[in-house]
Amino acid sequence: MNLFNAKLNAKCVVKSIEIEDEKTKFRLMELGLIEGEVVTVIKRSLMKKTLLISFNSSCFTINETEARRVMVEYA
Amino acid sequence: MRKILIVGNPNVGKSTLFNSLTKSNEHTGNFHGVTVSEKSKVINIENEKIELVDLPGMYSLNSFSFEEEVAKNVLLAQDCERVVLVDANSMKRNLYLCLQMMELKINFKIFINNYDYFFKNGNEINSKKLSEKLGVDCQIINAKKIKSSLELFERKNNNYYLPYLSKYINKIKEKYNLGEQKIILALNGDFSNLEIDQKNYIKAFLPNLIKDRYNYLNNIISTSINVKNNYIYGLNKSDKIVLNPIIMLLGFLITFFVGIYLIFFLIGPFLSGVFETILTRFLFVPIINLLCGITDNVWLIEFFENAVFGGVLTIISFVPQVCLLFAFLTLLEDSGLIARMAFVFDDFLSFFGLNGKAVYLMLLGLGCNTMSSMASRNMPEKNLRVKTAILNPYISCFARLPVFVLIASVFFLKFSFWVVCGLYLLGLLVLLFMSFILNKTILKTERAGLLIEFPPLRKIDIKHVLKEAEKNGLDLVKRIFTIVLSVGIIVWILTHTTFSFGFTQNITESILFFIADKLTWLFAPLGLNSTGIVSSLFVGIMAKELIVSTMSICNNTSSTIALQQSLLLSTSVVNFSFASAVSFLIFSLLYCPCISNLAVIKKETESFFMWFSVLSQFTIAYMLSFFVYQSLTKGFAFGIISCFVVALIFFAIVLLTKKIKHPKCLTCNKCKN
Repeated sequence: MNLFNAKLNAKCVVKSIEIEDEKTKFRLMELGLIEGEVVTVIKRSLMKKTLLISFNSSCFTINETEARRVMVEYA
Repeated sequence: MRKILIVGNPNVGKSTLFNSLTKSNEHTGNFHGVTVSEKSKVINIENEKIELVDLPGMYSLNSFSFEEEVAKNVLLAQDCERVVLVDANSMKRNLYLCLQMMELKINFKIFINNYDYFFKNGNEINSKKLSEKLGVDCQIINAKKIKSSLELFERKNNNYYLPYLSKYINKIKEKYNLGEQKIILALNGDFSNLEIDQKNYIKAFLPNLIKDRYNYLNNIISTSINVKNNYIYGLNKSDKIVLNPIIMLLGFLITFFVGIYLIFFLIGPFLSGVFETILTRFLFVPIINLLCGITDNVWLIEFFENAVFGGVLTIISFVPQVCLLFAFLTLLEDSGLIARMAFVFDDFLSFFGLNGKAVYLMLLGLGCNTMSSMASRNMPEKNLRVKTAILNPYISCFARLPVFVLIASVFFLKFSFWVVCGLYLLGLLVLLFMSFILNKTILKTERAGLLIEFPPLRKIDIKHVLKEAEKNGLDLVKRIFTIVLSVGIIVWILTHTTFSFGFTQNITESILFFIADKLTWLFAPLGLNSTGIVSSLFVGIMAKELIVSTMSICNNTSSTIALQQSLLLSTSVVNFSFASAVSFLIFSLLYCPCISNLAVIKKETESFFMWFSVLSQFTIAYMLSFFVYQSLTKGFAFGIISCFVVALIFFAIVLLTKKIKHPKCLTCNKCKN
């Protein structure tokens, strides 16, 4: 399952990050979105193009394209 | 002299710390990417001079945007001391940058900020233990209240060992003959002077290295930081309401319109009136009376009355309104709402080829376009950065405010509020339209990743709001007594001097009239065929505040009310009919960025885009003003037809210039076809 499809407010564990753009991939990882990290989708924007997620005790926005490339499992 | 760099993640309070230590008033805000260039100030602590440098925020040494690149270059290039400011509420992420600096053997100290909030939530940091475990001196501070002392900046050598690093270095060394420093730099995102295969080989280690760094940090944090209450920093209970798109949109529109009403039509004019009366009665009138007592030279008296006081007074009366505008913008910035607006409006803006971060730049543009064009460097992608830098001038800045208020209150009376709101809206619509066009043509942007950290919603610090208002008000006063005054004097001399260098009170004999008269044909189709109007617009390119002061000098008035009355008289040099007033408002809203803004656009992009910005803005302003003026004077259908004809003429000119660009046109096969 990818992060985009995860239920709202459900705790998920990151399994892998398959984002093609290396710059974005490394940035997300450096912010703490690494394998084993617990991530929660807090809110989806109106058109569902942007997600508000929380990980590493902070809150970040992420785009649909990138969210679909973050593989997760429910915790 | 000691030089100390303040580094850290975005929005941890670096500029606040810089302001507290240097007693400065640099721009701060509750949003990441507020500081986009380095700022420095020398302070004297116990007779020792120290230069403090505030750097833009960065999450890691592997830079993601241009402002992070700026910070990284300064951090790595300069031989100086460093202080890393970290946020107590997100220690692990903040310490990641520290770990990278440790890998590069950079000596630094750690200041822990925002501890009150962390402690209130039942958590605790043992700074002594953290210092021991990290091998770096850590101190808990309050960036808002800290006072400078030598003890604070006491030099201490770091003493650490990073067990995870050696395996990566050894593996890379086995494969390639590279120096250790070069390898560590590459592991931190600096691949300069490396071959492609070397770069790819090292890059493959990065995901595991990042994990190892976090594992190392987890071990340190588990022994020195006691987290009892696991909360998400940045997320408030009220976010459930705030993040609702409909509530956010309505809330924003109501706040914006109420803000405009209060600033421009209720509190602002009252304060401006009081301010102008005080200045006139207690400063300008006594000086003029004194001058009249000393001399009866008409030239000299008129020079002071009109060139020195007239031009200054018409602008200076708007200082209270500008202060209120900046107070309003600071309220929005400090609250933490901007990140939320960026999230909510990202979908909408991405349709036009922008992203949510543009919301911050647009709000910043309401204050000053130059600042917002410079702030475009926090955009993650080049085309997006160029687009926001060149389109920001469509947002009406504070300098255009006097023009709008002055003209609207004369010609629209009860509806002046709606006219000013309409002008702001028109600027926004043109910006979105142009962004859409650019996105489909020369500045195509893939949907750029919106990666914004949510700051917590904070209570407003009234002191800070007042400070920002005061700072910007004083900045405007400085501009008035430097640029406006000096340009005003030049304009006055040009309007009162003949070609034979004689003094004249008849403006039609003046040098300025002669020059402006040569250009009036261009503006005649817009209803702006007065030499005074053309001169004002021309001078306004230097700074938009000069439009009103030039009009005042041309009409020989020395107060805002006198200028307003003179605009209705057909005998005045600058006068408007209703249609030409509307045309003028639209044209002055859109026609050209000011000189300082153009310089920033050139610096942030390239000269092509600077000229593109000038030409595109002039064309759009001309077309819209033309359409409105022709529609109002000759009917809607005539307006549309004539607009179409003008568009064709512009198109023909563009084609012609394209031909001129290729002088070998007649022989070149490409052009022949």
